[in-house]
Amino acid sequence: MVLKHLSELKDILVDKPTRRLVLAAAQDQTSLTSVISAARDGYIEPILVGDKEAIQNIASENNLDISGVRMIHEPDTEVAVEIAVKMVRSNQADILMKGKVGTSTLLKAVLNKEWGLRTGSLLSHIAIFEVEAYHKLIAVTDVAMNIAPNLQDKIAIVNNSVACLNRLGVELPKVAVLGAVEMVSENMQATLDAALLSKMNQRDQIKHCIIDGPLAFDNAISLDSANHKGIRSDVAGDTDLLLMPDIEVGNVLYKSLVFFAHAKVAAVILGAIVPIVLTSRSDSDQAKYDSILLAAAVTKNE
Amino acid sequence: MADAVRTAGRKYRIAVAWGQDHNTIGSLHRAVNEGFVEAVLIGSVSEIGKVCRESGYDPSLFTVIGSDDEKSAAATAVRMTAEGDADIVMKGLVGTGNFLKEVMDKEKGLLAPGSVMSYVCAVEIPAYKKLLFVTDTAVIPFPDLKQKVAMAEYALTMARRFGIAMPKVALIGASEKVSDHFPNTLDYSEMCRMAEDGRISPCIMDGPLDLFLACDPESVKIKGVPTPVDGDADILLFPSLEACNPFYKSLMLFGKGELAGMICGTTKPVVLMSRSESELSKYYCVALSCLMASENN
Repeated sequence: MVLKHLSELKDILVDKPTRRLVLAAAQDQTSLTSVISAARDGYIEPILVGDKEAIQNIASENNLDISGVRMIHEPDTEVAVEIAVKMVRSNQADILMKGKVGTSTLLKAVLNKEWGLRTGSLLSHIAIFEVEAYHKLIAVTDVAMNIAPNLQDKIAIVNNSVACLNRLGVELPKVAVLGAVEMVSENMQATLDAALLSKMNQRDQIKHCIIDGPLAFDNAISLDSANHKGIRSDVAGDTDLLLMPDIEVGNVLYKSLVFFAHAKVAAVILGAIVPIVLTSRSDSDQAKYDSILLAAAVTKNE
Repeated sequence: MADAVRTAGRKYRIAVAWGQDHNTIGSLHRAVNEGFVEAVLIGSVSEIGKVCRESGYDPSLFTVIGSDDEKSAAATAVRMTAEGDADIVMKGLVGTGNFLKEVMDKEKGLLAPGSVMSYVCAVEIPAYKKLLFVTDTAVIPFPDLKQKVAMAEYALTMARRFGIAMPKVALIGASEKVSDHFPNTLDYSEMCRMAEDGRISPCIMDGPLDLFLACDPESVKIKGVPTPVDGDADILLFPSLEACNPFYKSLMLFGKGELAGMICGTTKPVVLMSRSESELSKYYCVALSCLMASENN
């Protein structure tokens, strides 16, 4: 299946059971607003953990209808996060979302060895972009979690992302390993890793996808560019997933697409028992809403 | 930019290494017709004649110097420029490696000893209110502090040629926080100090800044990070080629950008761009190099 618009996430969700989303430290205007609107549209069933009075105040100030929404009162942020994580762990919720709490506090709880949400895989971030000038959605990883992933980390990041895309119906995602150039150069570790990942994919050490790299951005995105340079590749010009060499590259590209190319984006954290939604204040309302839908769409079927 | 060059009324002599493809000759044809360039094409006489015929150009507009192979064409073009017979050297269909080898030749090339060679692009993007100067899109993979300072100076020189008296320089990182997880951010702190002390030519410099804080005043407000660049950057300096290259390519492919770029750090301007670039892009690069050449005189 080929997805062109983020709104198609809604079509995926039509046939799926409504997912339960637990918002940790729910007294947060931006995340609460997006959660309530996704709930109103029927895509999730919310559970709010946090300071009840503060939540109610935010709801009334922003005209959010939270009547009938399940709420667990816990004013202490760290405890609220622990409650939310444990609810996921005990199968009372399908998606975890960050409210008014620092990212590091939430991730510490997610990674707690006794009651956290570890699966043995690395946590990684995936951002899925809708760009007018590209013929389908394009996923980019990792722009937010892993600073300078080594080869093993990159394998885990690809596996996380491919499983996610598979659940969105992209059966054999085409993965471009990004480099500044398309030649393997011993001066640039990213190009060496790219060559290794490609070969490991050919040998079935990394499955359910087609990997090629290094590819420079233009070759990954445009078949014309790849042809001009005489690059033979099954991925060039038709990339589903772009693997970044490091977070500096990813962060710049993410922001370039949003700001200069007016891309729409949805993003989740993968690699835990359930998808995790981490949005930031600078994300648009659309991005927050679509991220919730993305999390619901990639939740494993029971 | 092209207007400024056209109206300056000077002619620049450009030596073109293996200049025998449609895009290169087309871009020069326009510049010659507009009166600011004299082009010396060094390459296969018959091939150049064929391209001119196919495109309907008058071959007498160009000076043609016959050459049998791309390596010697590159050597001739660079030597002419080094010896003052041309103001600018341009890469035609010759491979980048062969071309740069001549440019960097210690005796006959265009690189002063100890100088840092880098690449600066001027990019026009519909989503941004002004031109952005971006470095390094093509040459230095992982610049150290000295190279970053040189990159900043080249971009500042270019921005000033465009009439920006006090350019705002954003040193780009993944976030605005200085951290030893990101060694580049330590260089950035040092550079900001150097800019304050006057060890970097006059500019408003800040970093690390993420792309939003550099280019979007709205994000500066939301995040509440006080920065003199204030979402109004003229120059973006990137931590690596790996970050800069996909950035500018995303602007071209997804952001409807147009660019002009050139090599900096050489004794004469060097026009170098991918063989696959369009005629228009090459024309802009030629105009940019003329603008920069005018400062050398």
